[in-house]
Amino acid sequence: MTEQEAITNEESEELRIGAFICECGVNIAGAVDCYAVADYISTLPNVVTAVVNKYTCSDAGQAEIKNAIKDLNLNRVLVASCTPKTHEPIFRACVEEAGLNQYLFEFVNIREHCSWIHMWEKEDATRKAKELVRMGVARAALLEPLESSEVPVTNKALVIGAGVTGMQAAMDIGDMGFKVYLVEQGPSIGGKMAQLDKTFPTNDCSICILGPKMVEVARNENIEIMSYSEVEEVDGYVGNFKVKVKHKPRYLNIDECTGCGLCTEKCPVEVPYTEFNEGIGTRKAIYTPFPQAVPLRALVDKSICIDCGACIKACERGAIDMDQTETFSELDVGVIVVTAGYDVYDPEPNHDFGFGFYDNVITTMEFERLINASGPTMGKVVRPSDVQPPKRIGFVQCVGSRDKNSNIYCSSFCCMASLKNAQLLKEKYPETEVYIMYMDMRTPFRMYEEFYNRARDMGIRFIRGRPAEVTENEDHNIIARIEDTLTNEIVNLELDLMVLSVGAVASESTETIRQILKVSKAADGFMMEAHPKLKPVDTTLDGIFIGGMTQGPKDIPYSISQGSACAARATRFLAQGKAMTEGITAKVDDDICVACGVCVPMCPFQALSIEDDKLKILTALCKGCGTCMAACPTGALDQSHFKNEQLLAQVKNVFAYGEV
Amino acid sequence: MVNVGDMLVGYATNEDVRKRGASGGLVTAVLAAALEKGLVENVVVMKHINEFEAVPIITDDVDEVLASTGSLHSVPVNLAKYAMGRKVAMPAKPCDAQAVIEQAKRGMIDLDNTYVVGLNCGGSMHPVTTKKMLVEMYDIDPEDVVGEEIEKGKLIFKTKNGEEMAIAIDELEEAGFGRRESCRYCTLKIPVNADLACGNWGVIGDKAGSATFCQVMNDKGVKLLDNAIEAGRIEVEPASDKAIAIRAKVNDVMVNLGNTLEKEIFPEIPDEERMQYYMEPMADCIDCGACKEVCPVCACGEDSKCTMFHSLVDNYKMSMYHMVRLLHLSDSCIACGQCSDVCPSDIPITLLQSSFAIPSQRKREYTPGMNVDDVPPFFEVILK
Amino acid sequence: MAEEGWEPKIVAFCCNWCSYGGADTAGMGRFQQPASTRVIRVMCSGRIDPLHVFNAFLEGADAVLVTGCHIGDCHYVNGNEKTEVKYKFLEEMLQQLGLEPDRLHLNWISASEGERFANFINDVTAKVKELGPSPLKPAGVK
Repeated sequence: MTEQEAITNEESEELRIGAFICECGVNIAGAVDCYAVADYISTLPNVVTAVVNKYTCSDAGQAEIKNAIKDLNLNRVLVASCTPKTHEPIFRACVEEAGLNQYLFEFVNIREHCSWIHMWEKEDATRKAKELVRMGVARAALLEPLESSEVPVTNKALVIGAGVTGMQAAMDIGDMGFKVYLVEQGPSIGGKMAQLDKTFPTNDCSICILGPKMVEVARNENIEIMSYSEVEEVDGYVGNFKVKVKHKPRYLNIDECTGCGLCTEKCPVEVPYTEFNEGIGTRKAIYTPFPQAVPLRALVDKSICIDCGACIKACERGAIDMDQTETFSELDVGVIVVTAGYDVYDPEPNHDFGFGFYDNVITTMEFERLINASGPTMGKVVRPSDVQPPKRIGFVQCVGSRDKNSNIYCSSFCCMASLKNAQLLKEKYPETEVYIMYMDMRTPFRMYEEFYNRARDMGIRFIRGRPAEVTENEDHNIIARIEDTLTNEIVNLELDLMVLSVGAVASESTETIRQILKVSKAADGFMMEAHPKLKPVDTTLDGIFIGGMTQGPKDIPYSISQGSACAARATRFLAQGKAMTEGITAKVDDDICVACGVCVPMCPFQALSIEDDKLKILTALCKGCGTCMAACPTGALDQSHFKNEQLLAQVKNVFAYGEV
Repeated sequence: MVNVGDMLVGYATNEDVRKRGASGGLVTAVLAAALEKGLVENVVVMKHINEFEAVPIITDDVDEVLASTGSLHSVPVNLAKYAMGRKVAMPAKPCDAQAVIEQAKRGMIDLDNTYVVGLNCGGSMHPVTTKKMLVEMYDIDPEDVVGEEIEKGKLIFKTKNGEEMAIAIDELEEAGFGRRESCRYCTLKIPVNADLACGNWGVIGDKAGSATFCQVMNDKGVKLLDNAIEAGRIEVEPASDKAIAIRAKVNDVMVNLGNTLEKEIFPEIPDEERMQYYMEPMADCIDCGACKEVCPVCACGEDSKCTMFHSLVDNYKMSMYHMVRLLHLSDSCIACGQCSDVCPSDIPITLLQSSFAIPSQRKREYTPGMNVDDVPPFFEVILK
Repeated sequence: MAEEGWEPKIVAFCCNWCSYGGADTAGMGRFQQPASTRVIRVMCSGRIDPLHVFNAFLEGADAVLVTGCHIGDCHYVNGNEKTEVKYKFLEEMLQQLGLEPDRLHLNWISASEGERFANFINDVTAKVKELGPSPLKPAGVK
């Protein structure tokens, strides 16, 4: 008999519940009289001890739990403290170390759900805490030991999105010796960073530092790049995800193409759809995404191809295959890292600051392509209306950020991006007047404030205020009417070109992936981490990690850090080669079940079936949601750890006769 | 060969069966043929006790089928549960057929093995009520009754000594007798949910009283009739347009009456009186569980959600038993009236159930027991 | 109307992934709420059996809240859609029983929507305070 079995057997004789009430410093004790709670709880049936701890989760607190389990023969442990979302695993491990099955632990939340929301009603908070703990005691009495099983972990990773964050994550996982599938929806890896001209605060050329990294990713023998591909379905759980990836047709055999560009040269169809150049300039129906693309392979835009066959004739290697169709791969992976990136805020629908009305109002991304040496103008900054170099340029900050009409959050990188672009202008065209119209300049982190000072020193003019009215004169110059809130003056600024410093929004593909994976969405639309401080790249789903812009707006260094963090967090599972599954599943009482089968279609995981007039549960497929039992008319189906009787005991103990 | 959708008029070829049956003995002959030709292994029939009373039995004896009572207005019980686990043919009122289909949805009845010969039903009477009515309203000794029929809205009893007594059904129902309350507001009068829909509505002219109108509802109906024709037990001919029209008209009248009575039976209850309206009668419940036991759409065993979370110790204003049953039946109650029949405390359970079920089913445009492929709305995965 | 100082008791069923997190986030944001609500955690709102809701009312709840992830966000594909199906039945049934509609609510609250959770509790508590104790509450129950 194992120690655990011994304890389990013992409980059938006598219930012995130990309750530990955490003061959490003053976080709980500030509103809840913890000693009064302990006094009350110790009067409840089966409660052997009720103790108050300063911090139950501390070493001392945990030691007290372990000692009490041994000294007092406790067979149920209840902790009343914070949220199970962060601390349940800690206490489960604690009781398990003392030889108690982890499912005989009950958690009561008296901080987030009590002391923090009734901060100034000490009496109410204390009474509520007593009742919450009473509910927990009732539930604890009915808890049953469960076994969680160990599942093997497939030692491969999937990284979704090959921007700079995804590339970093893939390289780190690959370098640690594990196979990585790097899925990218676009035709090349590199992401948004590949489009940028220079990067702050060092002003080094973006593609010059990214390009080698892209090549490195391609050369890493553990990384399999799946470009122009999309994740369609994800099934399974930590360690054992099954992923279906769709490969979109390039209409070209990627193994034969060398990216020589002969086909593009011969293609007679030229259209102004330049994804990479933000719509500036033109591209052909068959094209390579950009000169540094990885993989450097062409693709055909079938929506505009006229099937003339010129490219087929031009290609010496016979790579072009106009009959290609989409294909699918099924991948088995143990962990998933999501780095699906962002979209820049689109000022078109709201016509922010005249965007869309006036040609000479453009966005930062368009500006990046304009000033880029390999961009459509070969780095010559011109304005759209007359293709002339602008002499007066203004940047408007916080477009689509910190604005209750669009997004209330700060996109965090746009101040630095405009400072950088303003500096580049001044360096290239010293005679140009450059203005930055802002609410607050936000420049934290190393070398950033210095970067701002440098901009001031270069003669860039800062106006604290954003245009209240934007009009255009007959020369297509932009007239921005601004209240400079530092000088209390109304300024009518005449500009040749105005650049909107647009923020970031969660990309459509982030949302699509989020829904496929069922990761939580934060209020700002980006994916939500498991904990804002302690688990910044974990999700609430085991084995799924998020990094970079997918998790929220941030700059390149921060994104790369998160890419590495994702890799480290994810690789833990791969290195251990095993993961634990929850013991919470559906159970059926065959004596009660009549095999009516109404539960079968309720299960989204196909865990239920009727065989030989009996309900069969495939526990390996059951994820323990409990929707089948809510449908069961007989009550034969029940969910371990959330049994009807356990839940109803909680309900019953919300109420009592008389005051507590 | 008959086809799905055929409207026929037919009768038993056997003179004796034809005479004894109220309408030409077609139903009896079809059931007998199904058994003798091996289409089924058993037949559920109503065993004759006296002229207004019969009990259902399961038989594999063709003679017993032939000796059974045809249609009677006084029937004790819904027949669906008799079909469970058997290869069977059965006569069925529309609500019997509904219950069969509801049980099939819950995997309790295999429709492929169940042949349902539907009978038109203008409503049924409980045998005990009937006896009481005979004494109190007709002043007849129940033992003296030799026949009953409904004609022109009147319920007629014939006695041994050749007397006929007729009283308007309205009058009987006003006095608290007559049809079960749930039959009065029922609007499914022709069993279009059965395999065959049989009855005397639309049997006219020289055939009146000696033939049955029969609509073939599906392939199993075709099988039943073809089988009986092949066995030489019945003869059928196409129904005339006039017959079809008259049948439809009778149905319309009955359905309209049902709708009218529904409004009378379910008065508007002011919101503030609702709880009292439900709690008061349910306070008389003695927890015998008979209403669940008898319910023909319930597929649960002895232990189920309505019983397991119900305790006499609870100091509740309504019992969990009734709350759960009201919910579980609100999409599937067919208002057969069985629960009211059996309640020893005379709680009008069917009425209470219906006041939840009727609006619920109507809102969802769902009628239970019509088509085995219609998912009960409570078991839908996604809200429609 | 209820007696002076009477506080309603509200039972809130919350799913582990979203609405329970929403209640946590409300706490982290210190969004103050009346001490009316007792949260019961389930893994998915689809686990919330109408019988749990009945039981809460019969035990003495002045209101019951059924909460879960937003549609499309369920961690178990579509558990909350099934919740919705059952909830509609509950809603109609309690209305038929004559229980005021404000005593039963369905709300989708994500783990980030702390303020939404707090506002919800504040609103429902205010409405139920107006209504007074539930007519289903057994005498003497606090």
